[in-house]
Amino acid sequence: MAPNPRKRKAVTRDVPAASDSEEELADGLLDGILSHSEGESDADQEEDAESDTSSVIEGLSDEDEDEGDGTFSDTDPEDGEQGIREQMRKLNTRDASAQLNGVDHALDLDSRPQTDGELDEQEDENLKPNYTVTTDANGNPRYLYKEIDPVYDSDDSDAPETTNTIGDIPLTYYDEYPHIGYDINGKKIMRPAKGEALDALLDQIDIPKGWTGLTDPATGKPLNLSEEELDVLKRLTRNEVVEDGYDPYPEMVHYFSGKKEIMPLSAAPEPKRRFVPSKHEAKRVMKIVKAIREGRIQPYKPPSEEEEEEEERVYYDVWADEKPRPENSMHLAAPKLPPPGYDASYHPPPEYLPDKNEEVAWLAADEEDREKDYLPKSYEALRKVPGYERFVKERFERSLDLYLAPRVRRNKLNIDPESLLPKLPNPEDLKPFPTMCAAIFRGQEGRVRSVSFDPHGIFVASGGDDGYVRIWELLTGRQVWNVKLSDEDAVDAVKWRPTKDASILAAAAGESVYLIVPYSILSPDVEQASRDILDAGWGYAASKPSTTTNGVTKEPPGKWARPGSKFESKGVLVQATVRSMVKIINWHRRGDYFATVSPRGQSSAVAIHTLSKHLTQLPFRRLKGIAQTAQFHPSKAIFFVATRNTIRSYDLAKQELVKILQPGAKWISSIDVHPGGDNIIVGTYDKRLLWHDLDLSTKPYKTLRFHQEAIRAVRFHQGGLPLFADASDDGSLQIFHGKVVGDLMENATIVPLKVLKGHKVKSRLGVMDVDWHPREPWCVSAGADGTCRLWS
Amino acid sequence: MDSKPEVKVPVRLSTRDPSIQLEQEPGPLLVQTTLRRPQLSALVNSLLRPDDKPIPFDILINGQFLRTTIDEFLTNNGISAETTLDVEYTRALIPPLNVTSFEHDDWVSAVDVLSVSSVAGVWSGGNVQSGQERILSASYDGLVRVWDMSGNVLATSDAPNNGGRITSLKSAKWISDKKIVAAGMDNTVRLYKYDEDTRTIAPSVELFSHRWVVENLAVHGPSNRILSASADTTVSLFSSNAKENPAPPSELLPSSNTAANKRQKLSKPDKTVPARGALTKLSGHTSPVSSVIFKPDDATVAYSASHDHSLKTWDLPTSTCVDTRTTGHSLLSLGALPKLNLLAAGTSARHITLIDPRASAAQISVMTLRGHKNAVVSLDADPSSDYGLLSGSHDGTVQVWDVRSVRPSQVQGEGQLGESMYTIYRDSAKGRPTHSHGEDVKVFGVRWDKEVGIVSAGEDKRVQINRPVGS
Repeated sequence: MAPNPRKRKAVTRDVPAASDSEEELADGLLDGILSHSEGESDADQEEDAESDTSSVIEGLSDEDEDEGDGTFSDTDPEDGEQGIREQMRKLNTRDASAQLNGVDHALDLDSRPQTDGELDEQEDENLKPNYTVTTDANGNPRYLYKEIDPVYDSDDSDAPETTNTIGDIPLTYYDEYPHIGYDINGKKIMRPAKGEALDALLDQIDIPKGWTGLTDPATGKPLNLSEEELDVLKRLTRNEVVEDGYDPYPEMVHYFSGKKEIMPLSAAPEPKRRFVPSKHEAKRVMKIVKAIREGRIQPYKPPSEEEEEEEERVYYDVWADEKPRPENSMHLAAPKLPPPGYDASYHPPPEYLPDKNEEVAWLAADEEDREKDYLPKSYEALRKVPGYERFVKERFERSLDLYLAPRVRRNKLNIDPESLLPKLPNPEDLKPFPTMCAAIFRGQEGRVRSVSFDPHGIFVASGGDDGYVRIWELLTGRQVWNVKLSDEDAVDAVKWRPTKDASILAAAAGESVYLIVPYSILSPDVEQASRDILDAGWGYAASKPSTTTNGVTKEPPGKWARPGSKFESKGVLVQATVRSMVKIINWHRRGDYFATVSPRGQSSAVAIHTLSKHLTQLPFRRLKGIAQTAQFHPSKAIFFVATRNTIRSYDLAKQELVKILQPGAKWISSIDVHPGGDNIIVGTYDKRLLWHDLDLSTKPYKTLRFHQEAIRAVRFHQGGLPLFADASDDGSLQIFHGKVVGDLMENATIVPLKVLKGHKVKSRLGVMDVDWHPREPWCVSAGADGTCRLWS
Repeated sequence: MDSKPEVKVPVRLSTRDPSIQLEQEPGPLLVQTTLRRPQLSALVNSLLRPDDKPIPFDILINGQFLRTTIDEFLTNNGISAETTLDVEYTRALIPPLNVTSFEHDDWVSAVDVLSVSSVAGVWSGGNVQSGQERILSASYDGLVRVWDMSGNVLATSDAPNNGGRITSLKSAKWISDKKIVAAGMDNTVRLYKYDEDTRTIAPSVELFSHRWVVENLAVHGPSNRILSASADTTVSLFSSNAKENPAPPSELLPSSNTAANKRQKLSKPDKTVPARGALTKLSGHTSPVSSVIFKPDDATVAYSASHDHSLKTWDLPTSTCVDTRTTGHSLLSLGALPKLNLLAAGTSARHITLIDPRASAAQISVMTLRGHKNAVVSLDADPSSDYGLLSGSHDGTVQVWDVRSVRPSQVQGEGQLGESMYTIYRDSAKGRPTHSHGEDVKVFGVRWDKEVGIVSAGEDKRVQINRPVGS
């Protein structure tokens, strides 16, 4: 403990402590005696702590106190005066109380440890009543109590007890002196300045505004306070709220007005029944308990049979006997609801969940304005999904919709499918064309590979796998002539010579081409004319020596010979043999030349034969690709050769290549040249029929893909009708309208007209060949089923 | 039904047949609409001759045969029951039933009938007795046969010696009871003599004119004229008197070329038949001529039908083409309806076109009879009616038509449209459904004779005779 406060305490505390203990004793609690010293020391300690804390808290005031210790001055001079007077008064009273034990006080402080033995005596003195007994006017004893020290809490540091260190000497003694006494060390204690003097002093000092007398620790300059700061300080000292404009006493709002309410809050005391158990209820509970104990009430009573029966009510099914009725013609099925989307899921992907704003917007929107009727929500598990609160409403609205909304039968797509089709003339307007089978030519064994009309259109020749060439009467289907050309080889091609003056049929079997005059159906003059044509070439080869190179006789590409008397008696007059199997025969329009194609012949694949000279020529030294078919141009000296995927046209007069057509097909099966000569149709094994316009491009003008199987033969009508036909392995023929206009600006019109079905497919071969009647819209097809059919 | 009030409809009876004309016009009669043809027929009979045996009548209302009750007829045709109906009655055509078939060795291409009432019978001048009907058939085996009505072959011709050529016949006709003409694929028209007593058919003359198949023949007995239509696009006129014909064109004789001559000599050298040429050759068609007929009442006029879609009228004395009528389709057969001045032409387009050949006729096709499913290759007229027509087709049916049973056609230029009354199927088909191509049952020739009935020949190697039973 610092000596200074200790000293202070020594002076100030003891008296009230004594009085305290006296009062406590007066309560009769004897224990307090023993604990007195302890209590006092406790109080001391507490007081110390308190003063410490207070000094810590109020650093400024502490200083003031220290100063004040010596000067008696406080911040407020008036307060100081008051305080002094008060102190004086206290001093007086203390004087009175301390009359008896004033010395003791000093002793008590210094010599307490030594005087432990005298403690009891002192206690006794302390226990002495603080009154004096006098006699009153009646002579009775009168107790004069000392004035009670109002300072009940001597520990109060806020009101520091100014200690009088001058002793118990009246101040009047020092009236004439500037001091008022001496301190414990014998030094004069100066008389404190009086009001006038201070004021005079203060008036002398001109203090600038905001002067504090402090130095700014940051700058070292004198710390001046601004007006606001001073204002803040002033407010602080007045215990006001520093904040500007704060109204500590706002106007009262009368939440509870004096108005009489309908349901007033009752201030009535709670009735007793609220906290006293109800006897009536207890009675009833006891009754039930009693009943349960006695078994009159059972906690679970199985429903009696009667009740069960009662519950099994009879429900009448109104619709039990209803039979499903066919929907009436005006019935319109209810429109289906759209299927639920992702957001209708109980646990939709997060991108379907609305964010806060959307949710708020949805909730804020009018029910009718909402885009969706529901708000997508995510639940962790299906079992956590609550009942759907809109269920009934939704059902109701749906029913209302179905009930009230008129339904209209509306076609899904209001487009006429016909309008999507390209504008083509009606096939009915393009008649005539073959529509039905008019005759079946039966009698062949094996496939029929080739058919050909005679130039008059009276007869049809056919050749097939059985090695026979047969001639049929057209309309009746009567076989009128036949000859067996070969035992081993099939007749691959038959072709009538295309002039009317004579009747010569060329047929290919194996490596040979036979030229036939079927005299039995010819009149003698026609027969004679035909024979003359065939016989004209005999001896030509002999008269002209065969070309020799280096003395070696070169083998001619074709050998022309008489086939033998057996054949000659049947009318087979000439046999021309080439190096490999002949598959195609095509006549030149004048009938003096014919071309044969033997695809395996390589360099000798394509041969042109001159009938009048019995001469065979190979126009191509080497041919690119495998030749498929070859044909003469109907009017010009142009020769078309089709290999597997290109068609080349050659000018026979100039001996040069004119054009290469690329149909883009994998494997060409047959071609035919339009009678006008500017268009070619190409049939391919890859099921396509291609129309080439020679004037347009080397690429097909039109691709027709209507067959399911390979196309074997294509043929233009040569008699002036704008028709062409193709024959396919799917057993059908297709008839097309193909009109070529002389005008170069107009493209050919191609209209599919008719599918002719009737041939049976045998070992994946259907129709092998087709040929048109020279004038009529009739065609004859050769089938793998061994029949030919006339279509008209 | 009984409670339903009886509806009556006024009818006016009429007929085009004078033999069954009502003596006095009865005026409009009220008849119940529930009546059918038999009741109406009975009504007419009662009006006509109440005592005699009733004649079955067919009833035509507005050109259509009544096959239902009047009520249904009115409903179907949308006619009010209050209008007076023009009811035409006519002798009923009794459905022809199959009577017999004559079997041949090969396809039968043509038939002709010799009877009292047939043209040839009329021309023979009473040499043909009733009950002595003879049927002539030409076959693809090149033989002509004469049959009696019991199905016996009375005579068969010899196979002609034509130098190894095909001999199939396409057409054969009676000229008289002694003369037969036949022609076929050997391009030759042959005249035969038929001797009833010795039962022989001997070729009398061969007429050479054509270079291709002779498709059809027409004969006119009184003037001894024969017309032949050929695929070489010409029509030739011959005389049945061999002497009248000129010498044959040498290049058409089988012996003309060496090879043929050799063959012919090898085959049968002994017997030779005189050869003759044509009186005239009528050329003008551009395609094979399929059929030719004389004008029924005038033998100097002939009509020919050709594959080139045209029908030509020829004036025979001058050998000129008088008129050409071009239709839309190949014409395959020709028949005449003399009373109506109409020619019926069967086409490859499966119908029969009725053509008015008179120059004054504005419309080419007066009427179109549809119902066949294949080319119509043979036609003949009903001998007992002016309106009946018989047609044979490659679809294997013979159909009977009445040109009064018509309705207007929707198609421009077709005239009116008719439907067949009866369809006769081939007996050999045995009830199998016929296909359009008529395989094995094609009909090549038909003939309708009053005595014999409907005679038809076809691919089934038979001559089939159908006759209305009970008449």
